[in-house]
Order: sequence, then structure tokens, then C-alpha cells
Amino acid sequence: MSGIFWEISKRNIRIHMLRSTLAMLGILIGVVAIASMGILGNSMSQSISSSLSSVGDSVIVTPYAGSGGGGPGGGGGGPSSDLYLTDQNYQKIKRAVAPNVAIPVMQKSAHMKVGVGSDDIVATMYGLPQDDIKDLLPDLEAGDYPSGNSACLVGSTFAKDHNVKVGSRITIGQDGEYGTLRVSGIIKERGMSFDISTDSALVVTKDWFETAFDTTDDELNEVVVKVSDGDTADVKTTIEKQLNRNTKDKTVTVTDSKATLSSIYETFGTVTTFVTAIGGISMLVAGVSIFNIMMMSVNERIKEIGIMRSIGTQKKEVMSMFIYEAAIIGVTGSLIGGLLSFGGGYMISAMMLGTTEYIFTLASLYYVAEGVGFGILICIVCAVYPAWQAANLNPIDALRHE
Amino acid sequence: MAPVIQFTDVVKIYPLKSGDVTALDHISFEVDHGEFISIMGPSGSGKSTLLTMMGCLDTPTSGDIFISGIRTRDMSDIELTNLRRDRIGFIFQYFNLFPLLNIIENVSFPQMLKSQAQVDEKKAIEKLRAVQLDERLYTHTPLELSGGQQQRVAIARALVNEPDILLCDEPTGNLDSKTGASIMELMTDLHKNGSTIIVVTHDPHVAEYTERTIRIVDGRIAS
Repeated sequence: MSGIFWEISKRNIRIHMLRSTLAMLGILIGVVAIASMGILGNSMSQSISSSLSSVGDSVIVTPYAGSGGGGPGGGGGGPSSDLYLTDQNYQKIKRAVAPNVAIPVMQKSAHMKVGVGSDDIVATMYGLPQDDIKDLLPDLEAGDYPSGNSACLVGSTFAKDHNVKVGSRITIGQDGEYGTLRVSGIIKERGMSFDISTDSALVVTKDWFETAFDTTDDELNEVVVKVSDGDTADVKTTIEKQLNRNTKDKTVTVTDSKATLSSIYETFGTVTTFVTAIGGISMLVAGVSIFNIMMMSVNERIKEIGIMRSIGTQKKEVMSMFIYEAAIIGVTGSLIGGLLSFGGGYMISAMMLGTTEYIFTLASLYYVAEGVGFGILICIVCAVYPAWQAANLNPIDALRHE
Repeated sequence: MAPVIQFTDVVKIYPLKSGDVTALDHISFEVDHGEFISIMGPSGSGKSTLLTMMGCLDTPTSGDIFISGIRTRDMSDIELTNLRRDRIGFIFQYFNLFPLLNIIENVSFPQMLKSQAQVDEKKAIEKLRAVQLDERLYTHTPLELSGGQQQRVAIARALVNEPDILLCDEPTGNLDSKTGASIMELMTDLHKNGSTIIVVTHDPHVAEYTERTIRIVDGRIAS
């Protein structure tokens, strides 16, 4: 039975092709806006997450900026680069987090030259205990870990930018006063990270670092705890309990990389929802146009509705006829919009992010499906009132309608 | 056998801001199976109200209406709609066919409502043959047909569910006299085959085709 009402709906759309096409266009634009914005948000999120290294299992301990630290650079309130953790701090952390590994990190910017006669470069150097380098940097692009004090690792961007290969020699200091290092390996690209950013840096042994720069064990810039046993949040709490006993005079700042990462993703999620909601406004406008068209359709067919009711058509059948009409417009407009939104997402991502590699992902598909579903839902919801009004027309008045 | 239509002391009052209007004033009558009746009266006499009451499109303010022995007063909208679909056939002055459907679909429409499924077109074709419509027109749309042809289609549509009653509202009012006469002859043939037909008209020539005339004046039966 529903077949005849479906057929009438289809034919009504066909004879009002221009009007129906415009309504479909409105829905199509709404779907493209929602899905494209969703795809853009997702691409942004994926783009950021791909540039963040996998540091979800780290807890980073740095000197508390407000405490004056515990070392020579202390003095209270100075820039964090002047603040240090002491060996005593490190030992406490190490004991507190066992059996997890705590890695002390020293850091310094230094002038250097690659090979002979090359330009002076300034880059960050990290000093790590030789045995811990592998724990913190498990992936090498080429070469091997330093086996002696005069070897170093370089980041992949550094290697690319300065044409450094395994075996290359780097002279440290403006006049080479800190000595020469041989490159034993190239670290795989890590992207942004919360512990150490190695892509444009050098990693040397802690012993070499202390000797070359005349530093001591009490001049640690940070301690990275690689959490393999237990939860990062628990490790963070343990460290804070051990080192920040006095809440007024804190010693360290402890960062849970997992929590930070999740906070970043949450922020991107919020941004995505916001931009998608902006796209949703155009869908609401399209919904108003659907409502208007359905009201017009009902008003044009009052007499027809009166005839239908007088010869035995139930109210729900009259309603279904208008709902079908809206559904056809909604499904057609939304599906076409869904397909086009890949193009929209592609263009916006290319323009705003400079990359399109995250367009055809499962998450993008989700946003397209969400846009299509929302488009169909809006169409049907906006047709409910006109359809209800049609179904509840007084048959006698409807029959007399001219 | 119960009368096909029975009105018992039916009153219909339309409440208006300017005061209540009594359209039907204590009307009682019966229509037996197979009767061919015309209802006549001047404009505003209550003819159309009487027809809408017989067609279960409206309910009386007081009194009772029975269709094939079924009291309509306590029926729900769904039940009244099904009663119209199954037991009553409507024929209108302006034909009132569905312009989006072709002739076969128009005639099949009430059948589709009743069967809740795709229908066999044989019955629609049988009814179209009964009203003597040219077979070449079956796939045309109503707007491609003349007034007389459209009214024949409307009659076929009214007959397709084999109703107990045919209610006709000025069936020849929009046709020339020759076509109108042919439509009334068709109705006479249907009556001879056993259909109960009630025609509301102001045309005495139409009333001449019927066996009995009910005259309404000011909402009351005058004769």
C-alpha cells in the first residue's frame, strides 16, 4: 500500500523539479559544510598526532620554576633554563619509580661545524647516560648507538639539513674547543615530543657532556621516567609525594605525557566539534527551506488530501506521503553531499594544512556519515509538522478548498 | 435486512461567532438497499451537510446515523475512514481524480488502500469497461481526458471496492447536457445491477432519473 504513496511522492518531486532540486542543494551544502569541517578537524588532529612521538608512556620531571630549583642555577623564579635538578633529586626519583627507568637528561645549545670549512651551526645537545640512550631512543634510522664517549647520535632533520651521515665528524664549539664527535647513528624522526626533541639535535653520552661543558651531576635539566610498570598518573603522584612534600616550596614539576596528550586530543576534539557545529548552521538553514517547501506542498495539495481522506485514506498514510517526499529530497541531497564533501575536505585541508593525506581515513568517513545522517534526519524532522498538518486537515474543508 | 442508510433525528449545528447555524434540523429517513434517490433543495438548505453526514465525513450534533446497520456516532477516525473506504463510493462534481496518477492507478487507488499491497489491475480494468471508457485512455493522466471521460473514471474508482452506497455530489454539474445525460444513464445501469445510489442535485432533469426524491428546505425534509 505504501507503494502508491511512495509513487505519488516521487512524481510530486518530479513535477516540481526545480523546487525540489533547490531544496536538495540546500541539504547538499549543509552536508558538505558539516562533513568538510569534520574532515578538516580530523585532518588537523591526525596531522598533529603524527608529528608527536609516541611518548604516551613517559613522565617528565623538570625543576619547579617557582622554587629556585636545587642547584647552582637556583635563585628562585628565574627562567627554567637556569634551573636544575640535583643528583639527590634524581636518586629520589629513581627510587620512587623503580622498577621503571629514570633517565637523567642534560641539555645545552652549542655552536658546531660539520666537516671542514662548513658554516657555524647552533643546535641543541643532549647528554644521556650511555646505557639509557637506547631506552629513551629505541629507533635508529641508520648506524648504531655510541659505544664510546667521542661518538654521538644526530636527529634525522639535522642529518638531512647538514648532509650528515654515519661516520661524519662534528666539531663542537666555535673554535672546536669542546672537541670533535663522530656520528655513530642517526635517530629516526620523532616529531614533537614532551621529553627531548631530537630531530634537529645531537645526543651525546652524559660523561662526554659533563667533561666537555664542565658540568656536574647536580645540573640535570630533566629526568624522563619511562613507565613500563603501572600507570603514568600513579608514577606522577608518587614523584610529587616524594619531592614536593612541602606544598609551598615545590621542588619539581611533573608532567604526565599521557594526560597531556589526551588533553591535546581533547582540545582538537572540541575544535572539530566547534567547526562542525558552524557547518551545522547551514544545515539548519536548509532545514528551514525543507520546512517551507513541505508547507507549500501541503498547501498546494489540500484538495487532493481532502479527496484522499474522503475515499478512505488514513491520516498516517497522508502523513507518510509527505515524509517520503522529504526523505527522497534528504537522502538524495545528503548522499550527493556526502560524496562531494570528500572534495570539500580535500580542498580545505590542502589550503589550510598543506596536506591531504588524512582525507580518506575511517575518522573522515565517520564525519561524512554523520553529515549524511544529520541531513536525512533534518529533512524528515522538518517534514513532520507539515505532514501532521496535512493529515489532520478537516476532510470537508479540504474538499471545498479551491 | 437493515437499511443501507438510516438517519434518526439527526441535528447538525455549526457554532459560529455570529451565532449557531442549524444545518440539519431533526432529520429522519432511511435508504434501502438498491434504491436510487435524489436529494434536492435550494442553496444553503443542508444538502451538502446531509451528504457529508452520509459519507461519514462529519458527525451529527445529536441523533444517530447507521450505515449498513453500523452506528457511526461512537466510531474512531480510523474506523470511520475504513467505513468510507469499504462501504461508500464518492462521486464529485469536479471529478477529483489524482492528477499525478494515470487512469488505471486512479481507479486502483481505493483498492490499494484496502488491500495494503500491490493490487491486481484486472478489477480496475473491469470497472473501467463497465463505465465504457476507451481502453486507449487507461494509461493517460486525468488532465488528458474530457470532463465526461473523467467522470466515468471517477465512477469506476467509486465502484472498485464494491461499496454498499454510491454518494454523488452534483455528478453532472460540470458537464454539458449530453454528457450529463450519458453519465446519468450509466448510473441508471448501475442501479439496475443492484447499486444503491444517492445523488445530491439541484437539477430536476437529474432527479428524473431517480426513483425517489428527498427535498430539503432549511435543514428539514420537506417531502
